[in-house]
Amino acid sequence: MLKLLRKALQVGEATVEYPFKPMEVAPGFRGKPVYDFSRCIACGACATACPPNAITMDCDLERGIKSWNLNYGRCIFCGRCDEVCPTGAIALSEEFELAAARKEDLYCQAKIQLCKCISCGEYFAPCRELEYVLASLEQAGLSESGHEGWKQLLKVCPECRRRKAAVSAAGALGGTGRVPGGRQ
Amino acid sequence: MDQELKLAELKARLKKVIKRSVYIYRVDCGGCNGCEIEIFAAISPVYDPERLGMKVVSSPRHADVLLYTGPMTRAMRLPAIRAYQAAPDPKIVVAYGACGCSGGIFHDCYSVWGGADSIFPIDVYIPGCPPTPAATLYGMAIALDLLQQKIKGEQFVEREVTRVVPRYKGVCPDLARDIEREARRLSGYLHGRRIAAQYLEFVREGDPLAVDRKIKELIKQEKDPRLAEIFLSLHKIYMQKVERVGRNAG
Repeated sequence: MLKLLRKALQVGEATVEYPFKPMEVAPGFRGKPVYDFSRCIACGACATACPPNAITMDCDLERGIKSWNLNYGRCIFCGRCDEVCPTGAIALSEEFELAAARKEDLYCQAKIQLCKCISCGEYFAPCRELEYVLASLEQAGLSESGHEGWKQLLKVCPECRRRKAAVSAAGALGGTGRVPGGRQ
Repeated sequence: MDQELKLAELKARLKKVIKRSVYIYRVDCGGCNGCEIEIFAAISPVYDPERLGMKVVSSPRHADVLLYTGPMTRAMRLPAIRAYQAAPDPKIVVAYGACGCSGGIFHDCYSVWGGADSIFPIDVYIPGCPPTPAATLYGMAIALDLLQQKIKGEQFVEREVTRVVPRYKGVCPDLARDIEREARRLSGYLHGRRIAAQYLEFVREGDPLAVDRKIKELIKQEKDPRLAEIFLSLHKIYMQKVERVGRNAG
């Protein structure tokens, strides 16, 4: 009996004191993905990468809102959203205490405004994404003079841009009403 | 409705009474067994839930808590309902793991109905794939009202247009992308991002000669040869880029 007691004292306690003391997790632990709303450009990379569709995106073209939803109840903590996010808006944390009594507490939602096309007036892309593209172009060495042109160009939806390009190309080719190489 | 109110009242009383002897019955509705392994890890002496009175029992007739793991599959739906009916009222129902909460990665499989909440009223959701033993203990503590819930539903709305600036200010995005890609290729996304950020911190100052000198110093001082190697290959990319820009300018 005493022998056993001595041995037990020598070995010490193996049990962690978790609910009464904070738990230390291993480095690189994949816990709750934390969303930073101020860095998100609503590009949708995370929604595409998410294997269980825990992150989903919806586009409401009527009201001009792109919504981003994360369901912690479906998340498998693989870290792919963290990996693909170009701006670092979503990152896994070391938090693991996610149990909730209500299902609504497992959701994280964000609503981001879409930009209106200045030509046709339809919503087409998140304002933040366009601003981000412009900022990236600036960093890549866009000149001051080109800045305004790009700003205008980014506010036109791809459809209208295509139509405009086609019209201007046709104008350049057949300015005099003749097609080069055609019969006179 | 009257019966429901009565049940809720009974449940509240149960939570007060069973603090020190909680009998848990597990029901696997068709999961991958990851959750079961974590539950068995959680009842090992390292976490020792029996000091909190929690015990896993092998019959639903003894159970106070029903632990549903795995997505609710078509084949296991009836056994799951039978286990629910066999457990005496009042009982606490816990959805365990990502699959138990909402179907998880199997949510759109042909035979999956969703989580346990597609059939039963759930008291506590324990997300995770699988939940770690510590998360399991925390979830059980929530189910028994021993601890406070930490997570809250979040909602963000963009009222006015705000700007998001690229992460590395003053660095050409092309260069930042190439550096980050190479760092991730060599050391994974987690460390790769950290290493790329450390490298680009040097580049931010601009002058290629100063960057070159500083990086060489860093590589010389680095004790971990793997890290030094990664920095060297990142530096190669940078130097190539600088050379190309120089040639174009010349």
